[in-house]
Amino acid sequence: MTADIFLFWLLASVTLLSGVGVVLVSNPIYSALCLAMTMVGVSAIFATLGAYFIAGVQMIVYAGAVMVLFVMVLMLFDLKTEIATFSRGRISGAIKIAIVGLLAGLIAGTFAMTTTIAGKPETKEKAGHAAKSLGELLFTKYVFGFEALGVLLLIIAIGVVGLARSKGGTHAKH
Amino acid sequence: MQSIDIFGQIGLNHYLILSALLFVTGMAGVLLRRNIIVLLMSIELMLNAVNISFIAFGKYMNQLDGQILVFFVMTIAAAEAAVGLAIAVNIFKRYKEVNIRFFEHLKG
Repeated sequence: MTADIFLFWLLASVTLLSGVGVVLVSNPIYSALCLAMTMVGVSAIFATLGAYFIAGVQMIVYAGAVMVLFVMVLMLFDLKTEIATFSRGRISGAIKIAIVGLLAGLIAGTFAMTTTIAGKPETKEKAGHAAKSLGELLFTKYVFGFEALGVLLLIIAIGVVGLARSKGGTHAKH
Repeated sequence: MQSIDIFGQIGLNHYLILSALLFVTGMAGVLLRRNIIVLLMSIELMLNAVNISFIAFGKYMNQLDGQILVFFVMTIAAAEAAVGLAIAVNIFKRYKEVNIRFFEHLKG
């Protein structure tokens, strides 16, 4: 068992266990901590796949910014008295779990039965070179998507400020 | 089904199945949990699972396009989290809870 294989199984188990923890833990604060662990695990998986730049961005954006946002909002709420963590109804819950398991089985079965479509990855590129070609691709082939994303972020920033300042929305009782 | 040993060699399928399992975990969270914040967290989990399969395909096909798509998905996910949390804060201000039961109040 070489180091690569060991690393994959370690990271996969850490990521999956903390992902299951997000769903199963009843306190939302612990859910947020499990989610942060999942983000770090996913970032490490990106690094093992050779996408070093994306791994860094994942750490900064998800494990940094998005998690701070979640924890801040949780801090604003007083969630010590959470009434119903899970949805009611045993039968509907069993049906939901069965659907989810069926989906997982279908996907895994599809992967197991198909022959490998892609060949082996070529020799590793240097990290700096990969980031450079990534930027070139982003500003040439995908420049329209990049610009559209900028417009979307502007709209969302304005919309969130408007949402936060509104007093009760359309059905406000003054 | 090919009978290669799954523990001896890490291939594309390993990453894809990991991604599928993570996605399904997030989906179970969306279906089962009642807290809006945890619902949003589960959605983030699903988006991350998709990112893993993008990166894995990109590596095994020697293309960088998957990584560009991961950029876009990350941006959309951050924007979605911001909007969702703003809505959750508004709901909490009105109903003093973030349980999904507040949808009962939306009946006209």
